[in-house]
Amino acid sequence: MSIASAPIRGLQEVARDPRSWWRRSKGSVELWANLIVLGWALVFMLWRGGGFAVTVGSVFAIWAVLAVSLNLVVGYTGLLSVGHIGFFGIGAYAMAVLTSSASYEQLRTEAIPTFGWPFFAALPISVVLAGLVALVVGIAFNRFRDDIYVLVSFGFAVIAFTTFLSWRNLTRGAFGIHQVARPAIGPVVFDGELEFLALLLVFLGLVVLISWLIVTSSFGRVLTAIREDEEAIEVFGYRTTHYKLAIWVISAMMAGLAGALLASWSTFIDPNSFVLLESVLLVSIVILGGLASIWGSLLGALAFVMLEEGMRFVPFLPSEFIGQIRQVILGILLVLLMLFRPQGLVGRFKL
Amino acid sequence: MMGISFIKRLVAITLLAVLVMVAAGCGEEEKGPFRIGVMESVTGAGETYGTVAVQAKQLAVDEINEAGGINGRLLELVVEDSKCNAQDAITAYNKLTDVDEVKIILGTSCSGAMLGAAPLAEREGVVMFSGLATNPDIAEAGDYIFRTSLSDATVGVDTGNVLWADGIRNLATINESTDYAEGVRRTTTAQFEKLGGQIVAAESYPTDTTDFRTQLSKLLNATPDAVHVASQAEASGGTILKQLRELGYDGPIYADVVPIGTTALEIAGDAATGVKAITPDLDPANAKAQEVLAAFKEKYDYVTLPWFLGSAYDNIYITAECLKKTGDDQDADGFRDCLYDITWSGTIGDNYSFDEKGEVVGLANAVLEVLPVAERTEENGGYRVLGAAPSN
Repeated sequence: MSIASAPIRGLQEVARDPRSWWRRSKGSVELWANLIVLGWALVFMLWRGGGFAVTVGSVFAIWAVLAVSLNLVVGYTGLLSVGHIGFFGIGAYAMAVLTSSASYEQLRTEAIPTFGWPFFAALPISVVLAGLVALVVGIAFNRFRDDIYVLVSFGFAVIAFTTFLSWRNLTRGAFGIHQVARPAIGPVVFDGELEFLALLLVFLGLVVLISWLIVTSSFGRVLTAIREDEEAIEVFGYRTTHYKLAIWVISAMMAGLAGALLASWSTFIDPNSFVLLESVLLVSIVILGGLASIWGSLLGALAFVMLEEGMRFVPFLPSEFIGQIRQVILGILLVLLMLFRPQGLVGRFKL
Repeated sequence: MMGISFIKRLVAITLLAVLVMVAAGCGEEEKGPFRIGVMESVTGAGETYGTVAVQAKQLAVDEINEAGGINGRLLELVVEDSKCNAQDAITAYNKLTDVDEVKIILGTSCSGAMLGAAPLAEREGVVMFSGLATNPDIAEAGDYIFRTSLSDATVGVDTGNVLWADGIRNLATINESTDYAEGVRRTTTAQFEKLGGQIVAAESYPTDTTDFRTQLSKLLNATPDAVHVASQAEASGGTILKQLRELGYDGPIYADVVPIGTTALEIAGDAATGVKAITPDLDPANAKAQEVLAAFKEKYDYVTLPWFLGSAYDNIYITAECLKKTGDDQDADGFRDCLYDITWSGTIGDNYSFDEKGEVVGLANAVLEVLPVAERTEENGGYRVLGAAPSN
């Protein structure tokens, strides 16, 4: 159920009686999923050297924050949302607009106001803004359930993308925003990739901790109950709409955080990073890792990123087809996984 | 017992595999091939451009290697997919520079991807050299950033001039909401208005739109002298031409290069006849260009986007020339200086060079006119060249 208890309990068992533990776990898909993904990540790091591993690690950390936050809504509460990318984008654009210091006037393209805020001043604004939008959207969304929920969240993702693209005097539309600030604490600027990865991991840890506290609390148990049978829990006097709205806003704020981190990491953003397809990928990561499992979301994000980046090293491909073939393989692997293990790598709950 | 020995074996195999790879890495010869990175959008929105660029580059590399290489050393491309977006361009860039340790990267075909990776390249002193990215912002991207493609700004300025010279005074515009199409529209209208023209209606549409009748009707209600179409996808460009004529509009249409691409012309059919496009184009009198197109056709059995194809092809020969001078694929600074100094005559034009911003100078846009369906052939691409765009 929770992030920490499963591995810790597992480790205790191993320590107590390694042989019998091995006999019992040999056939466990979960164990093998963990071993294979973590092992592949380790081998990849040793094989491909620290430099690229840092890049891959950063991509993983951003996806992991997103996946964990979405799992709170999709996995624990049972609200299948494909609109998460919208909050991701809001966080990213808030960070970009507030901190960008590019002088657009000398370019012959769209000019937007620049504020030049530091990273840490813009970060809370990005998170709160994503939360505020989620609050407004969530009040409307609370009227819907199940399949309709998927559709309205789909609508939100499309609206968000179109807004990023069309609100030209704020987002520069398709031109994108340059020179997003890197974080700085006093004189120390997180300019290097390794420092930035460390910062990302700190934020990832924070998100995981908060999520873990939520899902193990009585609040979290109500969420799980909503997923299992919303009417039943209403009968017990719980205002389920309040709970759903609360977790929706919290999850959106985490996605906003991920977006802000992404904008600062890449220092350039344009609407292409917030298309609906990315949202669908994100949902597949959550399902791939396992619904209602924080560890599953971490593992899912790692598996996805390693699959994507690992595929860069598939040999024997003619250079003209390298990209297409990579996508086909990724698609086939996802289909196979869903066919033979619909609950995901380490999940227990099926959609 | 068996389980533990299995784990041991697994660990041993893994370690062995790692060792073998490390050993293989150390054993490389010193006089191996020159290794150059290539980053193109072979999947995603810019797929057509990216694929053509990779294939044209591979064609040039094969030619060079068959002729004995550069100073006796072969040229090798390491291709990565930048997927037409900034984030994927950054991972692709880091893979090329960290894992493959290249210092010279050719690409990318999407401006968004280029702008994502350019700050890194500039900071780390890696040359990025594109044949296809056209966003005006790239001019300011840095000292190590070069391109042979003409900035959208020049296409727009030339389009504005052509419109004015043709006697157009009231213009309606429609464009796809992408950096490229939007850039063309902006610079076109800016130049057109500067000359005294008036924009009577303007519409834009998101990628993947398939029906434009409402927007086109709004344009036509403003009774413009001409309509300017800027699109990023050939399908939408062709559909707009078709629907414009279906709505009964018979005035002149001006476009960027995309709405007169092969796919777009197939969709538009006779509706496209007479459409004028302002774009860089291969000179029909340039023998080298025809040779390259023929070679490409023979190898890949199709030809599309001939100018961009030629641009990507030229990039490889310019790269080869500079490698011949520096003799070291790790010497990015020498390569950069070589690019600043070089004057090149190739597929896309004669005697072109790079200015202090890494922008190409010495190339001009051409005015093309689409032929009637009966006269369109694979060789002429469906259009004829009217001449170079007028400068003012």
